[in-house]
Amino acid sequence: MCRPRAEKRRRRLINLRQESTATPAIEVSHLTVSYGPTPALLDVSVTIAKGTLVGVIGPNGSGKSTLIKSILGFLKPDFGTVRIFGQPADEAKGRVAYVPQRGSVDWDFPITVREVAMMGRYGHIPWWRDATREDRRIADEALDMVRMGDFRERQIGQLSGGQQQRVFMARAMAQGAEILLLDEPFAGVDAATERAILDVLDRTKAAGRTLVVVHHDLATAAEYFDALVLLKQRLYAYGPPEAVLEPELLSEVYEGKLRGFTELVKRGRGG
Amino acid sequence: MDTLYNLFIEPLTQPFFQKALLGGTLVAIVCGVVGCFVILRRMAFLGDALSHAMLAGVTGGYLIMQFFYGDAANAPAMLIGSLLAALITVGMIGFISRVSRVKNDTAIGIMYTGVFAAGGILASVFSHRIHVDLLHFVMGQVLAVNDTDLWVAGIVAAVVLSAVLIFYRQLQLTSFDPVMAASIGIPVLAIDYLLTTCTSLVVVSAVTMVGVILVVGLLVTPAASAYLLCDRLSRMLVVSAILGVTSVVGGLYVSLWTNIAGGAAIVAFCTVQFLAILVVAPRYGLIAGWLRRAQMVPQQLVEDVLSCVLRAGDAHPTLEEVQSRVVESRPDAVAKAVRTLTRQNFLEEENDRLQLTETGKREAQRVLRAHRLWEAYLEHVGTPETEIHAKAHQLEHVHDPAAVDYIDDKLGHPLRDPHGSEIPVDRDTVAPGKIVKVSQLREGHCATIVSVGPMAANDLLKPGTSVRLGPRQQNGNMWTVELTDGRKIALPHAAADAVTVEVQEETRNAEVGAAKSAK
Ligand SMILES: Nc1ncnc2c1ncn2[C@@H]1O[C@H](COP(=O)(O)OP(=O)(O)OP(=O)(O)O)[C@@H](O)[C@H]1O
Ligand SMILES: [Mg+2]
Repeated sequence: MCRPRAEKRRRRLINLRQESTATPAIEVSHLTVSYGPTPALLDVSVTIAKGTLVGVIGPNGSGKSTLIKSILGFLKPDFGTVRIFGQPADEAKGRVAYVPQRGSVDWDFPITVREVAMMGRYGHIPWWRDATREDRRIADEALDMVRMGDFRERQIGQLSGGQQQRVFMARAMAQGAEILLLDEPFAGVDAATERAILDVLDRTKAAGRTLVVVHHDLATAAEYFDALVLLKQRLYAYGPPEAVLEPELLSEVYEGKLRGFTELVKRGRGG
Repeated sequence: MDTLYNLFIEPLTQPFFQKALLGGTLVAIVCGVVGCFVILRRMAFLGDALSHAMLAGVTGGYLIMQFFYGDAANAPAMLIGSLLAALITVGMIGFISRVSRVKNDTAIGIMYTGVFAAGGILASVFSHRIHVDLLHFVMGQVLAVNDTDLWVAGIVAAVVLSAVLIFYRQLQLTSFDPVMAASIGIPVLAIDYLLTTCTSLVVVSAVTMVGVILVVGLLVTPAASAYLLCDRLSRMLVVSAILGVTSVVGGLYVSLWTNIAGGAAIVAFCTVQFLAILVVAPRYGLIAGWLRRAQMVPQQLVEDVLSCVLRAGDAHPTLEEVQSRVVESRPDAVAKAVRTLTRQNFLEEENDRLQLTETGKREAQRVLRAHRLWEAYLEHVGTPETEIHAKAHQLEHVHDPAAVDYIDDKLGHPLRDPHGSEIPVDRDTVAPGKIVKVSQLREGHCATIVSVGPMAANDLLKPGTSVRLGPRQQNGNMWTVELTDGRKIALPHAAADAVTVEVQEETRNAEVGAAKSAK
């Protein structure tokens, strides 16, 4: 197999990133996670500095969502560790917010837009107390920020795809977490919503937060992100977009299913 | 009057009926509340499993008390036995689905039949010692509720309701998004166990009333009815509890009047209630669905309204203006169409004035393009000028891309319709990154050549060359292509068809230029 070459490249790219000295926001080391006999993630190590906007790319089933869920501390690794600002993941509760992949949400659940945004505050409300007016204000502000203020009382199934996406963005905002993980926020949204979401991401980044975004469109990956993680069970590459979006590497990971894509990538890189 | 009294009031004076009502109400409330979480987490099968496992627990508890204490039919022992059996079953189900690849629903099927069979074996091996009618547990005996049952139901209701009230947020979040729940430190597994324990308690207290087989009905049916009626969980819990109580009350009366077994009457009432709600529920009911479909606005009217708003340009029209301009349809139909379009995000209303959203504009432009192309076509085939607009207005609804592109090509990609208005370019086809023919481009478009056919053979046109479209010459029949160094190449229609290009990003600015020069 072609593993040795990937291994070599991997090491080279990682070296590019190890210069930052401050405590990294996310430190994933030798992470192995499995649902069944074969691991979904195998020996993945990634260090993400504070204030960066990192994209995660890879084919379907490559373990992107698994990586997100492990950083959140939802999945227990078979091996390896996840550290959030130097702390073990299960002690950093609430410091990481997340926007789920569309397909994993029960859109028929009896819950309104505002209640979803309020969930962002749950980590701040002790279990014996009710939500305060302050909590409600923060949740409402977050909804206004993504321009969903007019839809507060709607059940979440009765929104368009882009609106649904923005509601979950608002929830993540209301949580006030330093790290945001987004699982395919751009899937199935029109160009205008994509712009709007990107604006929110940029503002969040400008506020010094760290963002990890699962992304499918290789054509825009270079434009949107500071660094890219290329996954397929293992970590194939991690580094600046130009280094990761090499046609040779991509066709190895996507197994040649990418003929049209490589064209796109060239354009994305301004070629 | 007397009959009414005999039917409704007289039973209330009977102690057995009072107890049945009280016990049934308590059980129905907790069943309704817990049932909401059970159906939202797709655990209905688990309720079934719990109730069956209990039968083994009841037998076990009975036998142990009899063997060791000689005390037959000790009610608390039988209750504790059934609770234990339920919890053991749940534990085993969780264990099996965690350590093996066997899925949860299969694990439930395996464990509850297993435990149920163990109960059956116990009961038949020791049949000479068991003097209690196990059939009571299968069918329930709500009209023979005793004080112990009432106490159990009361305590269970108090415990379960306070647990749900205290941990409402945790239960809601773990049901809706367990990943987020875990990430903010909610102990997801503990909450799962809390809910399963509550379910076991509820099932144990309900079995004495409606029996092992029907208890699931009381657990999930009111909750499912409430699910059809409510858009938020807190309301669903309340409505579900209320619907549970109405089933119990209704079922008990029916059972009294007709002599049907109490449990069966209650669950049958519950089911009928669900079916009625399924039909009439305001949003998710069948009738509502039919009405919605009947209210659907015809596509033709949708397009008329959209293009009316588009034509008005910056003078955003009011609803009345649109109604007066779309003359083919009745004003109330137009108003309905406008409401629907606003809801679907094609139109926006600001200070009573209507404007198009991005999607609305796109759709309207598609129709406008079809309309103007059809006008050009009608003129081309010699239709009298007075009829052109009216006919094109009907034909514009034929706007599937194949048909429109075909006449566009046949007419030589006209720039203007017979009235001199610009025919908009097809934004879905001519968009950055799309591959098109040069003939489809307008002045100002930038593109990179992808291929050059023999009809356009020219040394200057090579794949990879960047070009910009200049103004059309000779009444729009000659395309001009400008190279980056300023040289110009004139292409007739056939040659312009032979050059395929990829549209570039800068197109947007170009369109502004094109629109300006059109004016
Ligand atoms: N709950 C689960 N149980 C068992 N296997 C799972 C589960 N979730 C994911 N997997 C498997 O783990 C692998 C990685 O899944 P993951 O959802 O992380 O992929 P992904 O990269 O997010 O894919 P996509 O692009 O489709 O979202 C897949 O092979 C998938 O089948
Ligand atoms: Mg995924």
